[in-house]
Amino acid sequence: MKREGMWSLKLSTAALVLIPVAIGINYIGKFFAELLRLPLWLDSIGTALASMLAGPIVGALSGAINNIIYGLTVSPISFVYAITSVAIGLTVGIMAYKGWISNLWKAIVMGLVVGLVAAVVSTPINIGFWGGQTGNVWGDALYAFLLAHNYPVWLASFLDEIVVDIPDKVATIVVAFAIFKGLPKGLISLFGGGKEIEKL
Amino acid sequence: MKKIIVDNLKYRYPSAQELALKGISLEIEKGQFIGVIGPNGAGKSTLCQALVGLVPHFYHGAYGGSVVVGGLEVLKSEISALALKVGLVFQNPFTQVTGAKLTVYDEVAFGLENMGLDRAEMIERIDRALTLLDIYRYKDRNPFDLSGGQMQRLAIASIIAMKPQIIVLDEPTSQLDPQGSEEVFRAVDKLKSEGMTLVMVEHKIEKIAEYADKVALLSGGELVDFDRPIRVFSRPDLERFGVAAPVYTRICRDLKIKDEKTGLYPITLEGAVAAVGSLE
Amino acid sequence: METLSLYVDRDSPVHRVDPISKLLYILAATAIPIILPSLLTAAVVLAISVALLLLGRTFRRVIPLISVIVFVLLTILIIQGLFRAGNVTPLFQLGSLIFYREGLLYAVRISLRVINIMLAFAILILTTKPSDLFETLVRKGLSPRIGYVLSSVLQIIPQMQNTVGTITDAQRSRGMETEGSLAVRLRAFIPLIGPVVMSSLTQTRERSIALEVRGFSAKGKKSFLNEEIQEPYHRFIRWGLLLSIILALVWRVAA
Ligand SMILES: Nc1ncnc2c1ncn2[C@@H]1O[C@H](COP(=O)(O)OP(=O)(O)O)[C@@H](O)[C@H]1O
Ligand SMILES: [Mg+2]
Repeated sequence: MKREGMWSLKLSTAALVLIPVAIGINYIGKFFAELLRLPLWLDSIGTALASMLAGPIVGALSGAINNIIYGLTVSPISFVYAITSVAIGLTVGIMAYKGWISNLWKAIVMGLVVGLVAAVVSTPINIGFWGGQTGNVWGDALYAFLLAHNYPVWLASFLDEIVVDIPDKVATIVVAFAIFKGLPKGLISLFGGGKEIEKL
Repeated sequence: MKKIIVDNLKYRYPSAQELALKGISLEIEKGQFIGVIGPNGAGKSTLCQALVGLVPHFYHGAYGGSVVVGGLEVLKSEISALALKVGLVFQNPFTQVTGAKLTVYDEVAFGLENMGLDRAEMIERIDRALTLLDIYRYKDRNPFDLSGGQMQRLAIASIIAMKPQIIVLDEPTSQLDPQGSEEVFRAVDKLKSEGMTLVMVEHKIEKIAEYADKVALLSGGELVDFDRPIRVFSRPDLERFGVAAPVYTRICRDLKIKDEKTGLYPITLEGAVAAVGSLE
Repeated sequence: METLSLYVDRDSPVHRVDPISKLLYILAATAIPIILPSLLTAAVVLAISVALLLLGRTFRRVIPLISVIVFVLLTILIIQGLFRAGNVTPLFQLGSLIFYREGLLYAVRISLRVINIMLAFAILILTTKPSDLFETLVRKGLSPRIGYVLSSVLQIIPQMQNTVGTITDAQRSRGMETEGSLAVRLRAFIPLIGPVVMSSLTQTRERSIALEVRGFSAKGKKSFLNEEIQEPYHRFIRWGLLLSIILALVWRVAA
């Protein structure tokens, strides 16, 4: 079965319908992480799944729309972090296409990369909006400590972000990977399968 | 006039090894009611989806033979063009709601907006469809607040409003409670009396016996039989295909009461009563 | 069923303004204080936003939105006031902690910017029905397919909320461990989300089919059941907002 190119801009109906579901999954992940008082956000499992199933474009759209809707309905500040969500969607989509979800170890490596990318993209936003803080208690404590010892803001801010992002994104990708592996073949081919009709 | 012509239709899903349809041929006339029966996995849903073009255009995969619906060759037409000729209603009432509209009224408008109809025409069609399906009084409700039977009638109304010539119903009551099923069957009565061409997959075999002009019996992706219900239901090997004959047929068979004219076992209550009456 | 939205149903002049004008206001309220970065500009924008929220009779609904970020803003004030590089002028002392003027000013500036953006968005969000916003955007050229996605997210999240409520109740009654060590709680995560995620992904096939058979992929031009509401004064507002951004730019270049 031939796969459609990774960057195909033709969004199939199935791929579009996947986006709201992905955002719903992001929501549930966050809800249960809070219910279980986990020290993680786990709020991008759906975006990661959309990327694994339907590629980087659909993943990026899921990320962007996720933050737009949160911005419209929960807290406007969420809009600006749409860029981070898009970066997560793109990274997972590209790496998944290149085979980084063939086993658990590769998925963990992907989680590390996604965490790094998320931190790199979020840091300028954090600096612009919050003077470099993230709002996470542990990260901000580290940030205050580094500033007090005359480290530059960008480094303090980046480290503030990354101590939270790396464990969070590794956990997110591992959960998404586990779910992806349990999906029926017919469903996976609906999103990623070839688009041509073979003649019988 | 022929509404549907299926000629040697073969199909395999992209993730599958085996053919889901292995060379099906049948023709359906305008205004006919066709019942489709057969065991699970026989290919009934696949056939339904082939009539509206989802097979092959939505799933892709491997396709052979041809289907012509309302004059359009399915393989060469887009699903949205076919949707104006033939509508599809399926099992799950919940997933048939678009999920993007906040009221029943707007939900029916969804397909009409996609067709680009003007406002006045839309309103006329929506009012008529909601009235026909007896759900006009819920027009301002959120679709997800309806009961299963009401939601399923909303799905039918949404299809009716697009004015197709043919409606395909794939087990429209299998996920409903008895009351919801009854509501949907009453709607099917109405569609039939409006002279609509209907194709219905249904496990409640008595309903097929009551409505159908012809019955298609499918098994393992092949069309085993395509004939008048009384002929299909009196096949001695019917049970081998996982289909139980209507209860009246079974009673008459046990009592060895045949219809005088046809020499076959009756399939409806009326038929059974007539056959018993002619015994005296 | 409710949909997800912060919209407050009132009849006010602000409610009657079209969504595009409100989007332009967000643009202006964000851009102008960046173009003219003085505390005065930020304060003027703040005052206008507050006035519009009062006029829209939705001011009270802003308070919970703002209070979410107040805590973060406070920590910014403290951290920057104490540690910002370039802190030279001590302003006051709490115990052994010295707060500096530069850091505090910087923190105030950041806080004003964040609050301004929040308030501008709040005007749009609190006084516009999301469905109206999306429909307007589609009329103005947003792909109707993306319009569909936006509207359906607003319905899917409350549905997920319901499902999640049912699951937690069921799992609690079966003695699920939401307490205990971190390892125990981590292990509880997958069984909680797994089934909902699986079933909602499986439903995408049928939902797509339902859309397809209703002409979702039709190439022709779409129409709208609702009539577009257009008032002549909407255009004045839009041009006025664009003009104010341009004026700010001119001012900046000239000064
Ligand atoms: N999306 C799909 N992908 C792969 N195989 C499928 C898919 N849908 C159905 N099939 C297979 O095609 C065959 C016919 O299925 P179906 O038409 O659903 O049967 P029925 O409706 O009569 O129960 C079955 O073997 C089924 O497993
Ligand atoms: Mg079926």
